[in-house]
Amino acid sequence: MPREAEPSLNERQFVLQALQENLRLDSREADRYRPLEVTFGDEYGVAKVSLGKTRVLAKASAEVTVPYADRPLDGVFQIATELSPMASPSFEVNRPTETEVLLSRLLEKTVRRSGALDTESLCLVAGQKCWSVRVDVHVLSHDGNVIDASCFAVVAALRHFRKPDTSIEGGILTVYTPAEREPVPLGWLHSPFCVTWSYFGEEGEMALLDATRAEEQVRVGSCTISLNRHGEICQIAKLGGTPVEAVILLQCTAIALTKVKEFSAYLDKKLAEDIKRRDAGGRSAELTAENDR
Amino acid sequence: MEVDQQHPLVLPGDTIDPSLIPTHKKQPLRLGPGLRHIPPNAIIPTVAGQLIADHKKNSMWVEYNGGRYIPSPNDLVIGQIVRSAADLYYVNLTPYTSSATLPQLAFEGATKKTRPILAPGALIYARVTLANRHMDAELECVSGSTGKAEGLGPLTGGMAFDVSLGLARRLLMARSREEGGVEVLELLGGEGLAFETAVGRNGRVWVGSESTKTVIAVGRALRETDEGDLGVEQQRKLVKRLIREMR
Amino acid sequence: MPLDTSAYSLALLRVDGRRWNELRRIHAQIRTQAAADGSSYLEMGHTKVMCVVNGPSEPGPRRGGVGGTSAAGSGGGGGQSKDAEVAVSVVVAGFSSVDRKRRGKNDKRILELQSTISSALGASLHTHLFPHSTISISLHVLSLDGSLLAALINAATLACVDAGIPMTDYVAACTAGSTSTYAANDESADPLLDLNHQEEQELPGLTVATLGDSDRVAVLVCESRVQVGRLEGMLAVGVDGCKQVRGIIDRVVRDKGRRMLQEGTVEKGVGLEDMDLD
Repeated sequence: MPREAEPSLNERQFVLQALQENLRLDSREADRYRPLEVTFGDEYGVAKVSLGKTRVLAKASAEVTVPYADRPLDGVFQIATELSPMASPSFEVNRPTETEVLLSRLLEKTVRRSGALDTESLCLVAGQKCWSVRVDVHVLSHDGNVIDASCFAVVAALRHFRKPDTSIEGGILTVYTPAEREPVPLGWLHSPFCVTWSYFGEEGEMALLDATRAEEQVRVGSCTISLNRHGEICQIAKLGGTPVEAVILLQCTAIALTKVKEFSAYLDKKLAEDIKRRDAGGRSAELTAENDR
Repeated sequence: MEVDQQHPLVLPGDTIDPSLIPTHKKQPLRLGPGLRHIPPNAIIPTVAGQLIADHKKNSMWVEYNGGRYIPSPNDLVIGQIVRSAADLYYVNLTPYTSSATLPQLAFEGATKKTRPILAPGALIYARVTLANRHMDAELECVSGSTGKAEGLGPLTGGMAFDVSLGLARRLLMARSREEGGVEVLELLGGEGLAFETAVGRNGRVWVGSESTKTVIAVGRALRETDEGDLGVEQQRKLVKRLIREMR
Repeated sequence: MPLDTSAYSLALLRVDGRRWNELRRIHAQIRTQAAADGSSYLEMGHTKVMCVVNGPSEPGPRRGGVGGTSAAGSGGGGGQSKDAEVAVSVVVAGFSSVDRKRRGKNDKRILELQSTISSALGASLHTHLFPHSTISISLHVLSLDGSLLAALINAATLACVDAGIPMTDYVAACTAGSTSTYAANDESADPLLDLNHQEEQELPGLTVATLGDSDRVAVLVCESRVQVGRLEGMLAVGVDGCKQVRGIIDRVVRDKGRRMLQEGTVEKGVGLEDMDLD
């Protein structure tokens, strides 16, 4: 198994030395994200997120299946993550690294367990038929902070996604094609976002947001905080690493909340723009054509 | 550099117009990287890039940017020590490839007792002495003929930045400004920044300076020049902007 | 909701009769396994775990089946294999909880626990003293009643002490919760210390691990939805709980040490001056 390439001693020392002087390699402030960009595909439910040089693609899809026996009233919802050699030669297909396990657990806790998606609305016929929604996350390139980018991509893809409309008449389930009926959005309850802090220094006294890969390689610990814009914590994960003062963690959470509000506003704006773009040649144009007749 | 009649774009397997092949009465024709001679007299490119012919030296090669660095003799490279063995160091030139070897005595004035001790992860500036297809490359940090370091050896402090192979080669040209079209380093120096650099043909540039800010500025200048493929005029603007930001 | 939160506000007693700031009974033993370099047994209420530590050992000829994630055990420091690796494996026994569930070896939840414990202890253990070697910690969960991660961390700390691996300080952990559900925004919600399984299911909670007596948090895991305003109270109670836990496990170690001295397991006079004998 190829090991992840280690940074040289010079790089290690320099990154830390620069941080001591409050400087980052790309001249960002400590609590500044790299430019975050989200683009939607032509299809519903495809979101590509780029955070500096880190790029993540998420695709949501749905199919009708049988619900789990112990949860007859819930739909099925799963998030699959894949870190392939595309992102870095140290990742192998079908052999999850620790990074990948932690990433998938974090997304699971942030999006699935926090109840962002209303799984009860996915139920079609109790105990027999339900929607199974699946999000596939592909990390296209890895330049640090894959977690925040992936979480954003998952939320964006799910909120952009439209599942086919259905109806039940006389016990017969009909799934309509997009041509017959306009697909409908998923039942969405709140939008959680991850914010990852990286800690540096002997006692973890320096905290940075959105660490690049070079910075991630020399950090002594990290803490991922998931919040939504209503100020609800969905998940906090500081999984070991150098201990950090409790007060710093509280400050980090407060700053994370402001970041999450920014993310939330940005995603809302982008989704609205996308709807407008789709509508330009779509239904409203059709309607005016009908009026002309 | 623009693609023109003199320097056409070639793809692997293309036929090369015979008029472009330099002819010389005495010297034999020398083929550089990216070209392959198939006896009796066919020359075909093996990589995509720009064909360059030097009529004076009676040589030709293909210029290309990208891919992984493949060691070739006399290249100056920046390597990273992986581990040390009894009498040599294993050195990584590029990540995820097998390492090159550097004899522990291949340093200026090194004897069994005075050889430098390098920890894993340390950077060195070295010259490739031996490179062939089936063996690990060999390096040296001392000139074989003079016994002097000539600038080679361990790099202490500073920061190593990754750049594309093309930029690294352009930076190494004797007249990097006229031929390579890179002027950033000279411009930054002209603005009063004090720093030293070592350019490795394997796509790494080491920058050392007293001031952390300077190193970061040089690193950003290199990276932006590389990623944006900036021309000389744009590089001037970039340098002005960076200098302004520093103050 | 089986756990009636309104009952709490009447008597200020929790389902198991504890007050908000009371820990469950913690019982611990060290040196329980003769074959291991270090071992411990820990009960936090009805959560019971055993821990066995082997090493630090040089990696000889590759032994098969050294389970667990071999997370790079250092707190992020050092070059490759300059530090000892802390390999943790967690086995949850099938009979540990009410419903008998088989957990696969590659359950992501278990993998996450393993990597958390490895990284948390790695930050306290002096791994740089043992280059190129492995400290393997194997944990067995015998009974499960909430606060699993906290119990695992405490047991691992004890076993590492028993194994005599140098460390900065104890890593002590416990859980904290809040009586309000995430939706209710009432100001009167009390923080709770040391959640049992039932409370863990119903109420928001978090696991905290701190280093020694300080306020420095090594692990902070929250897996439920909770108002951001609740965090401070819960964290404060959690950190305080960790200090209590540290006191308890410290006493366990000292008691054992004293008994060993009396029984003559340790040669008399060796380090007697340093030992706190009263």
